Amino acid sequence: MDQQVDVVVVGGGSTGCGVVRDLARRGLDAVLVEKGNLTHGTTGRMHGLLHSGGRYAVSDQKSARECIEENRVLRDIAGHCVEETGGLFVKRPEDSEEYFQEKLEGCRACDIPVEVIDGEEARRREPYLARDVEKAIALPDGAVDPFRLCVANAADAREHGARIETHAPVTDVLVEGGEVVGVEVEHETGPGERVHREPGTTEEIRARHVVNATGAWAGNLGEMAGVDVEVRPSKGVMTVMNTRQVDTVINRCRPKGDADIIVPHETACILGTTDEEVDDPEDYPEEEWEVDLMIETLSELVPALKDARTLRSFWGVRPLYEPPGTGTEDPTDITRDYFLLDHGDRDDLPGMTTIVGGKLTTYRMMAESISDHVCDALGHDATCDTADAPLPGSESEARMAELMDEFGLRSPVARRSGQRLGSRADDVLDDCDPNPVICQCEGVTRAEVRDAIGEAGSDLNAVRLRTRASMGNCQGGFCTHRIAAELAQEYPEPVVRDAEDELYQERWKGQRHALWGRQLSQAMLNHLLHATTMNRDGDPANLDSEVDFGAFDAGADSEPAGPNEGGNAGTATADGGTDGDR
Amino acid sequence: MTRHTDDGDGDAEGGNGPDGERGDGPAADTDRSTPAPGVPEAGRDEQPSIFVPDDGEVSDETPPERPATDGGVESATGGSDSADLDPDAYDPVDVFPGGDLDLREGADSCYKCTSCDTSCPVAEVDEEFPGPKFQGPEQWRLKRKGDHDIDESITSCSNCMRCDDACPSSVPLSQMHNEARGQFVESQMEKLSREYVRNRILSNYRFFASIASKVPRLANAATKIPGAMKLGEKVLGIAGDREFPDFATQTFREWWKDRGGAQVTDPDKRVAYFHGCYSNYNTPEVGKAMVRVYEHFGYEVMVPPQKCSGTPMFANGMLKDARRHAETNVENLVEAIGEGADVIASCTSCSLSLRQEYPELFDIHGIEDVSEHTYEALEYLRINEDLEGELAGTELADEQAFAYHAPCHARNQGLSRQAVETFRDVDGVTMEDVGDSCSGISGTYGWKAEKYETSMEIGEEMFEHMEDAKGDVGMTECPTCAMQMEHGTGYEVEHPLQLLEDAVGA
Ligand SMILES: Cc1cc2nc3c(=O)[nH]c(=O)nc-3n(C[C@H](O)[C@H](O)[C@H](O)COP(=O)(O)OP(=O)(O)OC[C@H]3O[C@@H](n4cnc5c(N)ncnc54)[C@H](O)[C@@H]3O)c2cc1C
Ligand code: SF4
Ligand code: SF4
Repeated sequence: MDQQVDVVVVGGGSTGCGVVRDLARRGLDAVLVEKGNLTHGTTGRMHGLLHSGGRYAVSDQKSARECIEENRVLRDIAGHCVEETGGLFVKRPEDSEEYFQEKLEGCRACDIPVEVIDGEEARRREPYLARDVEKAIALPDGAVDPFRLCVANAADAREHGARIETHAPVTDVLVEGGEVVGVEVEHETGPGERVHREPGTTEEIRARHVVNATGAWAGNLGEMAGVDVEVRPSKGVMTVMNTRQVDTVINRCRPKGDADIIVPHETACILGTTDEEVDDPEDYPEEEWEVDLMIETLSELVPALKDARTLRSFWGVRPLYEPPGTGTEDPTDITRDYFLLDHGDRDDLPGMTTIVGGKLTTYRMMAESISDHVCDALGHDATCDTADAPLPGSESEARMAELMDEFGLRSPVARRSGQRLGSRADDVLDDCDPNPVICQCEGVTRAEVRDAIGEAGSDLNAVRLRTRASMGNCQGGFCTHRIAAELAQEYPEPVVRDAEDELYQERWKGQRHALWGRQLSQAMLNHLLHATTMNRDGDPANLDSEVDFGAFDAGADSEPAGPNEGGNAGTATADGGTDGDR
Repeated sequence: MTRHTDDGDGDAEGGNGPDGERGDGPAADTDRSTPAPGVPEAGRDEQPSIFVPDDGEVSDETPPERPATDGGVESATGGSDSADLDPDAYDPVDVFPGGDLDLREGADSCYKCTSCDTSCPVAEVDEEFPGPKFQGPEQWRLKRKGDHDIDESITSCSNCMRCDDACPSSVPLSQMHNEARGQFVESQMEKLSREYVRNRILSNYRFFASIASKVPRLANAATKIPGAMKLGEKVLGIAGDREFPDFATQTFREWWKDRGGAQVTDPDKRVAYFHGCYSNYNTPEVGKAMVRVYEHFGYEVMVPPQKCSGTPMFANGMLKDARRHAETNVENLVEAIGEGADVIASCTSCSLSLRQEYPELFDIHGIEDVSEHTYEALEYLRINEDLEGELAGTELADEQAFAYHAPCHARNQGLSRQAVETFRDVDGVTMEDVGDSCSGISGTYGWKAEKYETSMEIGEEMFEHMEDAKGDVGMTECPTCAMQMEHGTGYEVEHPLQLLEDAVGA
């Protein structure tokens, strides 16, 4: 079942999703292959800042200009993925006045709209700001949801004929006659594997061109093709707070440094970050001091953070690239620009192009330039329209007020659904009645969960990314089983159990870095609930022996038994079923 | 916006406090390490979260749009704002622009255990009500700056505050409900709707009571006219099955004036009586009992000018009304405290309001001192007098058994057992606690036609237990619980102070 297509795009991060969308809209036959789910890589582990460009206005004005340009585009085409929070660069007394002025001039030079406000005004906008903040520059930073963004790009690509294949790692790059002619992918199997395509099979996808959009992994893919791609992965930590202490992006106005930004994201605030080179993008230490540093340093800006509840921490790796021979020592000095490596020109291996570096904010521009390049190489003549065509979900303002009445949702829940689903809200919510809230922390209803299962299959982490279910303060303690119960409508029991375990594990992973105070209480309560009430530490269904289902009665309503008989039936269940008892 | 309250009413001259200068202020308790019940731990920020100029110089030209810490309610008296007066004041709650309280931080303490939901009397009987966990921490956590869509179900919460008591993690649930309800009423409720007008009337009970009590017999007769209450139901949505409470022919304050004020003077043993509306207009015998009992123990009783404690206003989201009344109350009570008095309430909802809701919702100079100096009447005597010794060996002339119901708001102050314990050793008194269920009326809640059924369903358990109990006289500290007890069982209902008066022969 090998396939011949125009282009294979490897990597389902923001870059790959942007590229496959662009190519598909230009009429090329494209396939996206991704080894995990969409956003499995850096895109799923980033800060969520829609840059205004302010951060680069002094150090890298080219990037700054690109940011503000794309910032405007994304507000336009991806309204339901973006929250227009606005941003502040705040100056504390010990921060340099000179740099403040440089920043200001830099922003102006890059056409970033700015306003200087005094400390009092800054605190009026953000009451939790430290009271010795002297002044601030206000500019149009925003928050962007990388998951929704990638999903919307992929969905649009699919609508335009592309094939999107997740859980399908590329295991080899096919080189024939000194030319890249395609890739070999494996459809994964194993515990919790998705019942999608034929699991366990290998497939060769032959293509006229291969785009390597594997970010921090670009070197690995290069190796498969026999070329050198010098990516220098650099890790950064992000700490998620339970609530939003600020509703505006807060940046520290100083040259560079760790822990200098707070991004409000959905119901939470995300603190970040560090910048430290690592050897392997898959395997690097996650250290406690990094988390401490976030909370300590950023509470200089927002003192309330010190005692606020943290939910979890996670790390991501930047796919930094520098042309051979630059020799920069400090990773923070490496440019944040993106690079397009034509392996034909560079390594005498035509048929493959690598794109590395850059930022999520500029993903569309990166995709446009590589698509131009690919079209060129294939002699395909088509223009790019991705800057103007809205992404699915952003076509019209969601009718949120009406939604509430129509679908009987509690209004903050309706608002959240509306914000997540954008113009798809009507369709998704329309055919689910009753529609109870499944994830209470994030206000996610059954309709949304079912819709996401319809799109993502049995991968509950992918369902989580689409809906935010299990991302609130209980971290899945009260809802993984409810979500899994929805899955059980369509999938066989073992698949459901594995998917449930996987989601719960994933939630646990991040919480390990927040186990003190209130999140520790939460984790303990979750544990007791799952271990004791749900018996998940010794679930008969996971034991070797068969469950004696015959020992259970059929439920209270099943037979119109008199009170005496009913009592008898009850005994069978009361002892938990001796057969399964081990 | 028009205001329908009785700012001009004559109470203010009824006070008896010596007319001296305001004392040099209450001994401000600077130890803020113990927050009021249900208040999130303060002090996490060494700075006041509200901007106060560093140099201590308070500018006169405070920008008008500067957020207040209490919901941005303008003060009727041009009143004070403690951020101005006390630059070191720390306010535990922050504000959204525009002045609404930002309580999202309170959601940090919730770990979703659902204890609150299982103890909410409304959720138990009302399928549609999502419960305190949603109303409080969940709804607040989902909020963003500028969001103004509070779910309408907040109006189904009766503000019984049992959820506060149930939460093992000190989530400020009732504060969240009160603020959300205030925001809902302010920005989402149709101001000309029948519901709004009705709620405004119910929550400003004091205003109507003050008029009715000028012509009590007429008013009492009017509410008894056949069909009058049905009309009320049709026109205003006030539950037609309720009997309107009788108005006393002489209010407590009139009685107080007639008797010439305090009979005992003792500058070292003073209490300021916060009688509240109900014992003033409807059950002055409770107020009289309070005065006689306290004088029996040698206290000088002061009756400062006062308005409504705000309880019915909070429950109806009328925070602006409540704030105006609070300004008068705080001003006068602070003055009394300055003269050495503690504040005593005979209604457990009034004492809870002064103690907990006031500092949670408003930022008025001295409000913390009022909170710290307020006690319920029986509680105060149990702390400061040897009641046990006094009552040991006393005997009630006529043997009587009582069916005692502890109001939810008493429960919140840890007072649910005080009546039973106090009268244990009095011969001739049998006091039976009828259990921990809610009476269901929750102030104005059970007066609303659409809530009447729910209210009676909640009360069912209490009615049954009362009937099972030996006594045929009810007892409770809360006037509206008393109304419900009487309505559901036909029993006569007394206040513990009245029994204490009999027992000590005051
Ligand atoms: C800590 C941190 C914070 C950041 N914050 C921001 C920010 O606030 N704003 C912003 O604009 N940018 C930010 N960035 C940068 C931004 O996240 C990245 O530039 C962007 O996400 C990169 O996307 P990508 O698609 O190129 O790479 P990735 O998202 O890493 O995508 C590569 C994909 O390739 C897949 N892959 C790898 N090998 C294979 C294979 N053999 N077969 C199939 N698939 C494979 C991976 O699973 C992965 O999903 C941040 C980065 C970091 C590290
Ligand atoms: S105050 Fe009472 S009615 Fe309201 S949510 Fe809490 S327990 Fe329920
Ligand atoms: S009782 Fe407290 S901690 Fe438990 S769910 Fe309710 S608010 Fe949360």
